[in-house]
Amino acid sequence: MTNTSRRRFLGGMAGGAAILTFGTQAPGFLQAAVHSGRSDSGRSEKILVVIELGGGNDGLNTIVPFTDDDYRKHRPKLALAANEVLKISDSHGFHPSLKGFAELLQNHQLSIVQGVGYDNPNRSHFESMDIWHTCQRKEENRSDGWLGRSLEQRGTSAGPDPAGLHLGGEKQPFALMSHRVRVPSIRSVEQFRLNGTDSQRFRDAVKELADARRSPDNDLLSFVQSSTSSAISASERIEAAGKSYKAAVPYPETDTGAKLETVAKLISSGLGTSVYYLQLDGFDTHSQQPDAHAGLLRQLGDALSAFVKDLTAQGHSDRVLTMCFSEFGRRVAENASEGTDHGTAGPVFLAGSQVKPGLIGKHPSLSDLTDGDLRHHTDFRQVYATVLEQWMGCDSQPILKGTYNPVEALALKN
Amino acid sequence: MNSEIDADWAWAPFNPAPDRPWDRRLAAHLFRRAGFGATWEQLTEAVSSSPSEVVDRLLNVAEPPDYRKQTAALTDAAVAVGNVQQLSAWWCHRMLTTPAQLLEKTTLFWHGHFATSAAKVPEIRLMLAQNELLRRFAFGDFGQLLLEVSRDPAMLMFLDSATNRKAHPNENYAREIMELFCLGEGNYTENDIRELARSFTGWEIRRDKFRFNSFQHDSGTKTILGQTGEFGGEDGVRIVLQQQSAPEFLIGRLIRFFVFDEPVPSKALVAPLAAELRDSGMQIRPVLKRILSSNLFYSEHAVGRKVRSPVELAIGFLRCLEGSTNSFELSEQMNVLGQGLFFPPSVKGWDGGRTWINSSTLLGRSNLIRHLLEHDKTRFGRKSLAEYLNGAQLTSAESIINRLQTLLFAVPVPMAAREQIADLIDGPGDRNRSLAEGLHALCTLPEFQLC
Repeated sequence: MTNTSRRRFLGGMAGGAAILTFGTQAPGFLQAAVHSGRSDSGRSEKILVVIELGGGNDGLNTIVPFTDDDYRKHRPKLALAANEVLKISDSHGFHPSLKGFAELLQNHQLSIVQGVGYDNPNRSHFESMDIWHTCQRKEENRSDGWLGRSLEQRGTSAGPDPAGLHLGGEKQPFALMSHRVRVPSIRSVEQFRLNGTDSQRFRDAVKELADARRSPDNDLLSFVQSSTSSAISASERIEAAGKSYKAAVPYPETDTGAKLETVAKLISSGLGTSVYYLQLDGFDTHSQQPDAHAGLLRQLGDALSAFVKDLTAQGHSDRVLTMCFSEFGRRVAENASEGTDHGTAGPVFLAGSQVKPGLIGKHPSLSDLTDGDLRHHTDFRQVYATVLEQWMGCDSQPILKGTYNPVEALALKN
Repeated sequence: MNSEIDADWAWAPFNPAPDRPWDRRLAAHLFRRAGFGATWEQLTEAVSSSPSEVVDRLLNVAEPPDYRKQTAALTDAAVAVGNVQQLSAWWCHRMLTTPAQLLEKTTLFWHGHFATSAAKVPEIRLMLAQNELLRRFAFGDFGQLLLEVSRDPAMLMFLDSATNRKAHPNENYAREIMELFCLGEGNYTENDIRELARSFTGWEIRRDKFRFNSFQHDSGTKTILGQTGEFGGEDGVRIVLQQQSAPEFLIGRLIRFFVFDEPVPSKALVAPLAAELRDSGMQIRPVLKRILSSNLFYSEHAVGRKVRSPVELAIGFLRCLEGSTNSFELSEQMNVLGQGLFFPPSVKGWDGGRTWINSSTLLGRSNLIRHLLEHDKTRFGRKSLAEYLNGAQLTSAESIINRLQTLLFAVPVPMAAREQIADLIDGPGDRNRSLAEGLHALCTLPEFQLC
């Protein structure tokens, strides 16, 4: 099948993305990966790691306005006291479980953009998450996400490697979807391989059959075919890439810790991937919030702190930026179940050695509420614009489908 | 695409024609969708009846009393041990073995619709009770099912409504009943959510049972979706159900589950079935019958136009070949592929369609088939694969591929693939190993991911 038909198919796609998607043609690329002549050129590329806090993180108990009377009034059971929080300033402090974030801040490696949200907030998890992922509302017929669009715009920078990677067993995040670039999802490097390929005959047959073009009448079939083809080639690349790394610091034995360790491993191995995406779920704390929230924040802070330390030790910290966001914050007033319901604005975190450390923007007011919810003052697309323009070197306007002023959250050294 | 589909044609009964005969290929399609898959014998039997008769049988087949007794014993054991993995394995085993495939498939549909996860409901007795509730009402009255689910202890626990007090109504259930169970986003306001939540105050769980606590009920006047009154929770459910968007929403979900993944069905396509559903008092059975007997269902708009879910992939593979295996391991593997039974990823259930597919799950799906083929507990009609195929007089690679094509594939296997896979099947060395390699390659084809 058809080398001709395959060539015809590739010819019909935008060149770079096609090679990426069907990246099995380059002969001997496995050796190239191991010896990594490319890793030098790859090393200059900036890398973005996105951590999605799923369920709606309670921003108010994450960055705590501990001197605010309204805070204690709205949160008779859930308010954190001045002597519990880890102080950022005279009026604001981290949740006591965020020791990792406090440490990052001390090392000038954490920027906290406060009061981030969007107009006419939607309080459905799914809809609000989709808005953050696509920068579009439901009625706009969404088909791709902001990171996917940025990968399309950047074209071939990853070489034969996947342009982006999603770590986790969840369904693929909408943010990474695009029309031309397929982003693999991997649970772990070890699980990301095809069994049976020790048989040469089997391996050859499966690869060739997956690469062969199918009739275009069935969109789903074309989609599955290109996905199968890129899955098989990505698994070969990643298996080869992960072999030479050893973590410089111990990672916490949590899901997020393990995922960030995998990211560090792939970065250190010279993989050309420029966007990594992972999720930490469970922030939908409608009831019995204190223990659950504390556990999640501890998991996040400890893992991110280890990750940044490891990257610093491996010499990659200047080219890796991590961003943490959630689809919304929570209602200011607590509910009767020692929990909080869906709200609006919340903080976004940027971590790495090239951030402007500290609090950016004001904490949203607790006396000026809309329907019992915080009012945002920074649109989430302003944070995206910062990352796209200043970090990834993209033109943010077509990606965000509008012009958004960046926030002053990065302090680039080079 | 489906803006071009004529709704009158779509839902008219399918009549086989020379260019679209009622053959094993179409019968296999029916069984894959209205169940998990059919054996060669079941297909042979099906083509000697009309499509409508086969759908009737699928809707009416009852599990023999002995089967029910056996499956009850398995759930008793799971509850006694208190192990939810065992419950997951039980459901997996049930899907593999029940003669009432459509009932089981529809129960799975409701599990995804009223998604409740054991991750937040540790009492497995309650998860089992909800599963039995969904099966009991699977073909029945949606209004009654909705009311039962709204008072179901597992659901109330899952959506934090187990303590729902007057002073601080918990909005979670009120939001999800409108957004995900009945109406869809955009068909209600945030204020409707707050008011509906008030009507549910006082609904709580006491000793694992639903109870109405009148002291915690807000008996004041509420305005829900344009109606005003001193509503209780039952009124709230009734008002939601009365909305015009309710039958439309449900029909959309049924089409997506049973007919095709894409595109989103047009309003015109949904309308006749939504009207029928409303006129029947929200009875599921007649509308299911109509969908599964329709022109649209047997057309190229539907055949091969769904991505197999992990359950459809694994259970389908085994059922078509009279397979049995270790249900514990199988249910865990389906979980890794994104479809843990009793563990939907969120209250939205499984998104399905393209979201089943990514690099990890594609490799994992292929590895699952390999694992099944190599596992010493996997048997086909109680035999090894080679013995099983031999017993069916299937010895040449060509006859084996033809048979598997009919049983397992909604989309034809490409010619080039047939040749390569025949080479693997006729490979040197152990026959079972060559067969496993051939079948594994066949089930790694992109075509196998569709049903």
